[in-house]
Amino acid sequence: MKKFVVFIGKLLLITVLSAVLLDMAYTAVFLKSTQRNKIQHILTAKDKNFDVLFMGSSRTQNHMVAKVFNDKGIKAFNFGMSGSKLDETALLLKLLLEKKYTIKNIILDVDLNLNSNAYSEGVRAMYMPYLHSSETIRQHYQKLPDYNKLYYIPFYRYIENDAKIGFREMFFSLVNKKSNALYNDGFFALRHNGKNMSYDLSDYRPKRNLAYEEIKSLCQKNNINLIAIATPMCQGSDSDAYFNAIQSIYPEVYNYEDQVTEDQYFSSCGHMNEKGATLFTKIILNDFIQNKFKH
Amino acid sequence: MFFNSLQFAIFLPIVFLAYWFVPNKSKTSQNYILILASYFFYACWDWRFLFLLIFSTLLCYVCGLKIESSANQQSRKIWLWLCVAMNLGFLGIFKYYNFFAVSFAELFQAIGFNVSPILLDVILPIGISFYTFHGLSYIIDIYYDRIKSEKNFIDYSLFVSYFPLLVAGPIERATHLLPQLKVKREFDFEKAKEGVYQIIWGLVKKVVIADTCAIYANAIFDNYNSMNSLSLILGAVYFAFQIYGDFAGYSDIALGTSKLFGIDLLKNFNYPYFSRDIAEFWRRWHISLSSWFRDYLYIPLGGSKGSKLFQIRNVMIIFLVSGFWHGASWTYVAWGLINALYFIPLLVLNKNRSNIDAFKISFNFASLRTIINIVLTFAITCLAWIFFRAKTIQDAVSYIKRIFTDRHFATQYFSIERYNYEILMMILLFVIVEWNNRYKIEPLSGKYSWLKVSVSIIAIIALGIFTDYKNFIYFQF
Repeated sequence: MKKFVVFIGKLLLITVLSAVLLDMAYTAVFLKSTQRNKIQHILTAKDKNFDVLFMGSSRTQNHMVAKVFNDKGIKAFNFGMSGSKLDETALLLKLLLEKKYTIKNIILDVDLNLNSNAYSEGVRAMYMPYLHSSETIRQHYQKLPDYNKLYYIPFYRYIENDAKIGFREMFFSLVNKKSNALYNDGFFALRHNGKNMSYDLSDYRPKRNLAYEEIKSLCQKNNINLIAIATPMCQGSDSDAYFNAIQSIYPEVYNYEDQVTEDQYFSSCGHMNEKGATLFTKIILNDFIQNKFKH
Repeated sequence: MFFNSLQFAIFLPIVFLAYWFVPNKSKTSQNYILILASYFFYACWDWRFLFLLIFSTLLCYVCGLKIESSANQQSRKIWLWLCVAMNLGFLGIFKYYNFFAVSFAELFQAIGFNVSPILLDVILPIGISFYTFHGLSYIIDIYYDRIKSEKNFIDYSLFVSYFPLLVAGPIERATHLLPQLKVKREFDFEKAKEGVYQIIWGLVKKVVIADTCAIYANAIFDNYNSMNSLSLILGAVYFAFQIYGDFAGYSDIALGTSKLFGIDLLKNFNYPYFSRDIAEFWRRWHISLSSWFRDYLYIPLGGSKGSKLFQIRNVMIIFLVSGFWHGASWTYVAWGLINALYFIPLLVLNKNRSNIDAFKISFNFASLRTIINIVLTFAITCLAWIFFRAKTIQDAVSYIKRIFTDRHFATQYFSIERYNYEILMMILLFVIVEWNNRYKIEPLSGKYSWLKVSVSIIAIIALGIFTDYKNFIYFQF
């Protein structure tokens, strides 16, 4: 039995050492990587001065063509992340501030994310490699029930989020394979033309959102002009009630939900295609230039 | 409590310590600890079904005693059939009742009668197919005087409910397991070490191979209408490795766990994908079930005695019942039928036992033929797996039809954000490791064992899927 105890001890030691070494290796790879996602871009980019940053979910990533602003000499970048809820957007903003970005305006898509105070597991996962290296990320996730496991157990954060930051993503980061998240100043164009689209918003109810209020407060403290908007949905979305309700809770939200409606501009009901995105960004740009958003 | 869960990683060492370090260690105290652990293990799934398990155990125990003590054949037969009928009755109610009710209703509707079946709102008790078969083999063996009935209820309960085999086998025989439970087990370092190696290799099969393949197989099978020929072929291959990794991995963990308690369980897999024909495949795949059907159904039906037609009938029955054993769905029956159709030509040509010897591969024509046979056997096995995996027979037929009609062989990008070739390297590596160790129980022992164990542990940690697809496929049977 003594031999067996020693044998198991050695196995446990191998397991712990493997986890520690893997954690160190993965973290080192992600810290060096620059091409995979917008969090890495924030952490490694040299250019930190922007007139306008677009933030939010895929409805920002696919809707705001930063080039339209850049062509007018307004320096812009799209930091929208597919799947992101306002909680992750708030963290992204905190990270921008931690890294001393100078931002004049933030155009934030809030619409469907005001339906709940939920978070995105997928986007949260992408922050996990930096849990030890960024004080902002560490503090933000201290509220998580399994924070101690994520922070202290070597490699646990990678196991828990293997779909997003597992071996495959580590390998692509190691070889610095470019992801499409950073093409076109962060705008990701959808090509498909949708037909007979619909979206049921009958169960959606806008609520007070803590992350949104945190974003508002951060912007106020850092002299950033926050422009909260609701972006277009397709005609079949039956969304008037929801979007009107948003303004009863947050009157400062600019409602652009019905500014683009024709099916030809949509890839799916909640996502415009490139044509729709360009048209919509021009509308926003026009209002921006005409100082509609100055408080 | 899955074998690949944190709960099991805590449960197992506790039971191990209690088992080997209990004061006044004796066979009785060891069995008490194991039976308590087994019932706790089972109750973690659903404590309500513990009563069913205990009742089934009690039924076979009492019937075994009654058969043995019966004065005449008539009485022995009554007790045998009472036990068989009640056990199969439970299995039928929980597993097959709704299926038959719906199928009959559909049949009546097809001929113009509108029938709405009365369905039972029951869930399938986990492991019921396995422990029912444990009990049946025991009772049949007593009836045919192959064994004596077990007088000690704890020992018998442990035979039925021993936690490593309780929920998905291997399906044990009283002749093999009960004698081991009748003696005090002494700790054997080499056996325990072998058990640990088997557990580690089982985890590699499950969390690295099976669960990764599952992601790809699901992406393809769930969207087969939009997949091209190459993806559909690879989908069948991925599922073949998913189900093998899943079930053989489970069996390895079960056998390895049992060795930690000094108890050997029946071998369930013997590198089935290296079979040279379908008959050999069935001697290597789910061995405990195949041999159960052989001994308790095929041989009583007449086996390979009698005319060829008679033998074909028996083979058909065995494969159809085997398919049906897996689940209440026509897809499993079709899978069994296809395997029967693969097997029958070998039977007719008297070639069903031509590949029973070990083989070596070298640079000659015979080896080339062996490799071709292995590849062909694997290919037809994959074809049959499509029926096993598909939701309906129509889906399986459409899937196969699309393989042959689409004729596009470009690499496809899936909704799971992966290409369909990315996992092939891992599968290839796995096949090479298994091939080089095909005469061993697991590949980790022997030379450089610490290096191999370390690589396996790193693979489990780095490549394992821990967030999805935790369930073992055979738990549903």
